[in-house]
Amino acid sequence: MIIEALLAATFLSAVIVFALPDEYAPKTAFGLSLVPVAGSLYMWATFTGSGNALTGGDIAFQTVLPWLEVAGYTFQWYVGVDGISLPLVVLTTFLTTLAIVSAWTPIDTRKSQFYGLMLLMEANLIGVFTALDFFAWFVFWEAVLVPMYFLIGVWGGPRRQYAAIKFFVYTNIASLVMFIGFMMLVVSLPINSFGLPAITQSLAAGELGNFYFLAPDALAAVAFAALFIGFAVKVPVVPVHTWLPDAHVEAPTPVSVMLAGVLLKMGTYALLRFNFTMLPEQASAFAVPIAAIAVLSVIYGAMLALAQQDLKRIVAYSSVSSMGYVILGLVAFTEFGLGGATFQMIAHGLISGLMFMAVGVIYNATHTRLVGDMSGLADRMPVAVWILVAGAFAYMGLPLMAGFAGEFFIFVGSFGSTVLPSAPLFTGLAMFGIVIVAGYLLFAMQRTLFGPFRLETEYELDRAPIHDIAPLAALLAAIIVLGVVPSLFWNMILDATVPLLDLLGGGAL
Amino acid sequence: MVSVSAYAQAIVLLPFVSFVVALFARDNLPKGGAYSGIAATAGSLLLSLATLAAVYGGRTVNETFYTWAVGTGAQDWTLSFGALIDPLSALMLVIVSLIALLVHVFSLGYMNDEGEEDLPRYYAGLGLFTASMLGFVIADNLLMAFMFFELVGLCSYLLIGFHFREPGPPSAAKKAFLVTRFGDYFFLIGVVAVFTTFGTAAFAGAESFPHLAEAALGGDATVWTPGNMAESTWFTIVGLLVLGGVIGKSAQFPLHTWLPDAMEGPTPVSALIHAATMVAAGVYLVARMYGFYVLSPTAMGIIALVGGFTALFAATMGVVKQELKQVLAYSTISQYGYMMLALGSGGYVAAVFHLTTHAFFKALLFLGAGSVIIAMHHVEDMWEMGGLKNKLPVTYWTFLAGSLALAGIFPFAGFWSKDEILYETLIHGLNEPLLLIGYVFGLLAVPVTAFYTFRMVFLTFHGEPRSDLARDPHPVRWNVKGPLSVLGVLAVVTGGINLVPVKKVLGIKGIDVLHKWLNNDWGGIEGLSSHHYAKIGPYESGYLFGGEAATVIAGAAVSLTLALAGLALAWRLYGVADPAEHTAKLGQIRELLYNNYYQDEYQVRIADAVRDAASGADTFDQGVVDGVVNGVSSVSLLSSERIRRVQTGIVGNYALLLTLGLTTLLVVFALIGGWFQ
Repeated sequence: MIIEALLAATFLSAVIVFALPDEYAPKTAFGLSLVPVAGSLYMWATFTGSGNALTGGDIAFQTVLPWLEVAGYTFQWYVGVDGISLPLVVLTTFLTTLAIVSAWTPIDTRKSQFYGLMLLMEANLIGVFTALDFFAWFVFWEAVLVPMYFLIGVWGGPRRQYAAIKFFVYTNIASLVMFIGFMMLVVSLPINSFGLPAITQSLAAGELGNFYFLAPDALAAVAFAALFIGFAVKVPVVPVHTWLPDAHVEAPTPVSVMLAGVLLKMGTYALLRFNFTMLPEQASAFAVPIAAIAVLSVIYGAMLALAQQDLKRIVAYSSVSSMGYVILGLVAFTEFGLGGATFQMIAHGLISGLMFMAVGVIYNATHTRLVGDMSGLADRMPVAVWILVAGAFAYMGLPLMAGFAGEFFIFVGSFGSTVLPSAPLFTGLAMFGIVIVAGYLLFAMQRTLFGPFRLETEYELDRAPIHDIAPLAALLAAIIVLGVVPSLFWNMILDATVPLLDLLGGGAL
Repeated sequence: MVSVSAYAQAIVLLPFVSFVVALFARDNLPKGGAYSGIAATAGSLLLSLATLAAVYGGRTVNETFYTWAVGTGAQDWTLSFGALIDPLSALMLVIVSLIALLVHVFSLGYMNDEGEEDLPRYYAGLGLFTASMLGFVIADNLLMAFMFFELVGLCSYLLIGFHFREPGPPSAAKKAFLVTRFGDYFFLIGVVAVFTTFGTAAFAGAESFPHLAEAALGGDATVWTPGNMAESTWFTIVGLLVLGGVIGKSAQFPLHTWLPDAMEGPTPVSALIHAATMVAAGVYLVARMYGFYVLSPTAMGIIALVGGFTALFAATMGVVKQELKQVLAYSTISQYGYMMLALGSGGYVAAVFHLTTHAFFKALLFLGAGSVIIAMHHVEDMWEMGGLKNKLPVTYWTFLAGSLALAGIFPFAGFWSKDEILYETLIHGLNEPLLLIGYVFGLLAVPVTAFYTFRMVFLTFHGEPRSDLARDPHPVRWNVKGPLSVLGVLAVVTGGINLVPVKKVLGIKGIDVLHKWLNNDWGGIEGLSSHHYAKIGPYESGYLFGGEAATVIAGAAVSLTLALAGLALAWRLYGVADPAEHTAKLGQIRELLYNNYYQDEYQVRIADAVRDAASGADTFDQGVVDGVVNGVSSVSLLSSERIRRVQTGIVGNYALLLTLGLTTLLVVFALIGGWFQ
């Protein structure tokens, strides 16, 4: 019942904060957001699940209740976590709390609505990562978009409405494609449940029938493609990534943190759960084009980041690049590949969250994000700047920080993959991303943080307030802890990903 | 009795603690953290000496102390941290901790006494730098080595860019990290390849990758190779991939360009980088996994040629430099080239020997240069100096000792080690003509080295003072003279640890201590001895004039003559009261040398080309990729005009849109799901 309690507490917090006067909203929201943090940490500490939730593993904190019966199908209230979803729940609660604190400085209008929407989004995100029945999952999945839409569209920058609409329409069309594909699949299975484990196991048992004129093989391929397109937009991968920089540039800092830190992981999480768990044969058949997309995302995304002059756009494009690594790890379909991809979701969530927050702190003080508008900031805001430098090195994959662990697991996992032809070549190409990322971050840091102090705006620079710094420090600490002790999550992740290898006869090597 | 492994961990942890203390205690520390740094590195040195003694007593270590991550299924690999304490790493621990200690002491004079600000940040950087390097030295596997290798890179970035308020240092720091990162890209592929191929990255033991590689080549083991490539080919490729990192960090051609720029860092940091940490890390890595490299004649040949070429190439650039530290920078590149030449030629002991002597005399020369820079109020141009000999006697005499060592003059430390490198290259080259090319490079670099070294000495210390600053230099204190004196003695006597030529010519036994040490005569780890490397290596020895002794004498005579010739020329040209620039005599070559063979230019051009490509990609992305998206949306959904009208800011409209979207989804769902049937 703890998942229900977590969801209920978060929804209730959202409602409470909505009802509060603006002046009390920020601190109340922070206080209430600690409840889900505590709850998710409790779940982590007492986690006893084993195996993968979809392939018949022992699901932790599970609840199964019949909910509705429609057209011969049973809809269930079915929630629970395994080693893949629990770390993402922890990431969600942790990052939301920090994002709320980082909002104290920049958000100065309609505060109660802002914080209410943040908590509402958190509740839906928890739902996405815990739901195990398709219908509930899909409702949460779509419902995440609503608060996000308003958070960008109301509190965003000058082109916020264009960005919000683009984000909403783009991801919604993608959802539609995904939804149709998935329905084609489910109605062709001899089951009457939308439970994700039941669907997975029925598919694994080879029970897929015809869909009108489509033979099972063709149907599976079509469904795989539809699901992949649907989730790829969310991740996003090249070439369906262009909503992301617009959304990030217009979104206020805390919203960018959530967007890059958690919302993008919805896409990779769903890819792992649906495409790679339910249809592994198809994933294997499409391995080369998917790996090509992964490499393209890494290199092309990094090149785009290199071309940017706006700090936030740099970080936004670098997310495209980092998520390419996750796709590579998934498609390699090895122990370290799948596990590394999952670990990288957490690592990137923390690191991109830190980077967006740090850029936000600089923006709060300077009111500019353009690289050419400032230099030598390290002289004036030393603590914020040095944490930003640490975050940048985490992004570059510095060992003993979480990003290195994620990336190394992926690389070492994918290099010898037997699922992916020419795996060493794809891996080697993707790894070149670690050079380009160093290039654009070092250039940007040299120009903005170091050198003689100069600022082209009319604002006085002060040391950042403690509540701006504290979330940065907390994230940095988490990144280092996870980099030094990856086993905090790694063991449970492996526990849930290794069973997937059996789907393709034991995986690589 | 405390285990040697615990010693090793404490050696690494002490400077790390100093880093943490300096980071958090900041302004509450006496001397900005210098004392805690000195205490920590002194502790590391003592423990390193104890470790050395333990190895001498036959106690070696090869054990894991922390498991970072493990696989459980098909890829049941253990990614871990462990200590590998054998004669090589024990020696290196002493070198690194000694130099680090002296650099800390010297920093009291160079940073504290000179009134530098932000000292806790400086000492935090030094502490982390030392800890990272020590962690790298004790690493028992390639992954751990890579991780500390990267941390070393981070620290060099932080310290080279210490004076971040000026424009130069941040740029140099960026360049250092970026160029070495380019090399590390290949290194990381190498690490990944080693895990995939062997399932382990351990350096030593029956389950280590060099051992498995040896077994695989002998047909006693099977390993993964990509596309069923022949094992020997694949091992060569893997070795060369790892070598990418070595070439970057040890500043070998063509990735040497970051090192001269790195002179923007404070001078004590340069001493640390050049003598004992960053640049030494690359060569040490090759020595550490030498059992793997010797299996591939191709990789060995490439190492030798890259090293030999770099030795000569960098030495020529040192000839025309105006600034004291620039000369030293190019000499570092050149000297590490010698070490690579030795490693590629099968001269494992010679390389480690030169690594040791070079660490002492190069640290000495940098700290000596630092002393001169203090005296000259931070002027570094040698043409502003002159005549400092009598005003800075301690600096002069120690600097002279270091210079004689660098130039390879008998009986200073550098003579013995450089001579052994050339000797090993020669005797193996007699059966392997490719190595003779490396030998010729190495030999040609000898007079050039002696020349630029003594050009530097004469211009700095001899003749008449050429500026007011040089007439009245700032005095230096004990904290400068002390480290110089220690290193000065070491630069003179360190050759004594390995008097191989004397042994071979006169037949006195037991004076080639380093040879015996690295041959595990007092204990070591199976498979990590010089003897073992020679046995499985690709080379046979050949001799001139029908004998070993004759070859030794002939080789030493040639190189010493060349060194003296270079020295004499420098004396003639620059050892006068009022020396003039003679570089014009070089004609067109001068421009080439001044511009470092245009190596920086072409790398900048590559960087520019990449940035142009990035802008191109951005234009393409905005115009075409996003253009298609916007085009589709304006055609199929609503016209762009209408989209703008939709954005009314009225929440009701948004809600309508949302509802419509969800309804559409539900209708589709219902149709497919057959609800209406």
